[in-house]
Amino acid sequence: MKRLYKDRIVTFSFLIPALFFFSLVVIIPFFRGLNIAFTNWDGISPTYEYVGFHNLRLLFGDSDALEPLRNTLFFALFTTFFVNVFGLLLAAALNTKFKGVNLLKSFIFMPMVISLVLAAIIWRYIYSDIYPLLFHTDGGLLGNPSTVMLGIAIICVWKEVGLAMVIYYAGLQTIPKDMYESARIDGAGIVQQFRKITVPLLMPAFTYCVPLWLGTGLRQFDYPMVATKGGPGTSSETLAMYVYNYEFPYFKAGYGQMSAIVLFAFILVLTMLVTRYFRGREVEY
Amino acid sequence: MNTHLLKKPRSWPDRLRIALLYAIAVLFLFPFYIAIVYSLKTPVETAASPLSLPKHIAWSNYADAIAASHFFMALRNSVVATVGTVALTILVCSMGAYVIARNQNRFYSFFYYLFMSSIMLPFQVLMFPLYKTWADLHILNTLHGLVISLTGVQIGYFCFLYVGFIKTVPRELEESALLDGASKYRTFFSVIFPLLKPINATIIVLSALGAWNDFVVSMVLVQKKTASTLPLVQFQFFGEYTSEVNMAFAAIILSMIPIMVFYGFAQRYIIGGVTAGAVKG
Repeated sequence: MKRLYKDRIVTFSFLIPALFFFSLVVIIPFFRGLNIAFTNWDGISPTYEYVGFHNLRLLFGDSDALEPLRNTLFFALFTTFFVNVFGLLLAAALNTKFKGVNLLKSFIFMPMVISLVLAAIIWRYIYSDIYPLLFHTDGGLLGNPSTVMLGIAIICVWKEVGLAMVIYYAGLQTIPKDMYESARIDGAGIVQQFRKITVPLLMPAFTYCVPLWLGTGLRQFDYPMVATKGGPGTSSETLAMYVYNYEFPYFKAGYGQMSAIVLFAFILVLTMLVTRYFRGREVEY
Repeated sequence: MNTHLLKKPRSWPDRLRIALLYAIAVLFLFPFYIAIVYSLKTPVETAASPLSLPKHIAWSNYADAIAASHFFMALRNSVVATVGTVALTILVCSMGAYVIARNQNRFYSFFYYLFMSSIMLPFQVLMFPLYKTWADLHILNTLHGLVISLTGVQIGYFCFLYVGFIKTVPRELEESALLDGASKYRTFFSVIFPLLKPINATIIVLSALGAWNDFVVSMVLVQKKTASTLPLVQFQFFGEYTSEVNMAFAAIILSMIPIMVFYGFAQRYIIGGVTAGAVKG
């Protein structure tokens, strides 16, 4: 009996290191944050008061949050759509043998391994120096409030399309080749084969990719932070930057933390709905 | 898809497709080209012809960049943070995932789902309270503080990948080791861990890339130069030295070299790593 008890403790001890670091970085801050969200804390002073749902009411009444919301939705939808469509098309186009196919794949994937900071900085200069030269206009996309989000989203598509490509490429390898063979015998063309075989059988890859990019798009912070710091003005501020600004530079930690939790709930609901949509369309074969 | 085409001479649409793919690859490489030529030109030449290759290679940009950006300190910090994060991640995640995968009861399932639930959690929710916690523990602006947080935010996903893999490892080997009287720890480290090579490679690649390129976690937890990693230094550098563009681009190229070398050697593992967990079967 005593031996069994000792055995259980030894088994559990394997989990302790992971649990320790997970608690320190995730669990404790999560509950601390939940507490902060219901206060009027500025983030520094030793005292604060509980204000109930006041921060939540403030957030839903704040018309300044609409611009970040619009920017975030634009960025998330634009990048999710183009990263996945281009990624899938590239994967399908590269799914044959020809001279240099592997080299092309590694070139297209290359932006994925460099840091986002470097990517955004290089593109800042492409927009400011090269873009006017090529298109004979003044100033690039980032200098204009109406095109700045487009400019930032293009950086993201350039950087991340390679990741979608290799995921879809791996998915394409799981589709049995004889399915295309028999479809061809039945007289199906390339487009029909793509629609009737490739797309349905790639559903597991869509279930993975679409919510992934939607989720990261909705929490986007890094690209606009490095490319424009939210500017010109606040025209490229995202919801995640809105949260950051209230928690740090504006010294409204309670309000910022409540916004973070609302952002989390928003992302969770949206990605769960999208995941369910794609999972329902997965087929067995 | 169209392997049958190999046997015949290529059709025109097929040639067009391949030509188009080459053009797209060139387009993807264009920003790298810009970065390289900018880093090698003088300001005068850059202004005159931004797109052309440099006529006289201005190596001095590199020497200036190394001096001005504290390049070697940032490089050292990045290496320490990345190696530390990878080592800690491999150790804690493989051990934790092992007992979760081998004890499928309510108790361990609870921890499995607890870890899993963090995968969808945006860092913005943890950002501020983590900053405060790190301040209380006096580990803000330290590399070990950074290592712990970079490890912690990824534990959920990496344990998930480990559990999936360990479930496919047969139990016979470890059972005979245990019957021979080896302790659980010894069995794990000498019998199980060597069998985890494929998944270890995946986790090493993913956590190394994540730690090396991290921006947002480091930006919140590190404000001092002494613990700043390359992405942070680059970010600050471009705020301060935007007038000296060529030198700044030399700094960009310098900090790209290590990751490009890694990509050159470990490309197969990197691509295998990022597709792990994405595709079933």
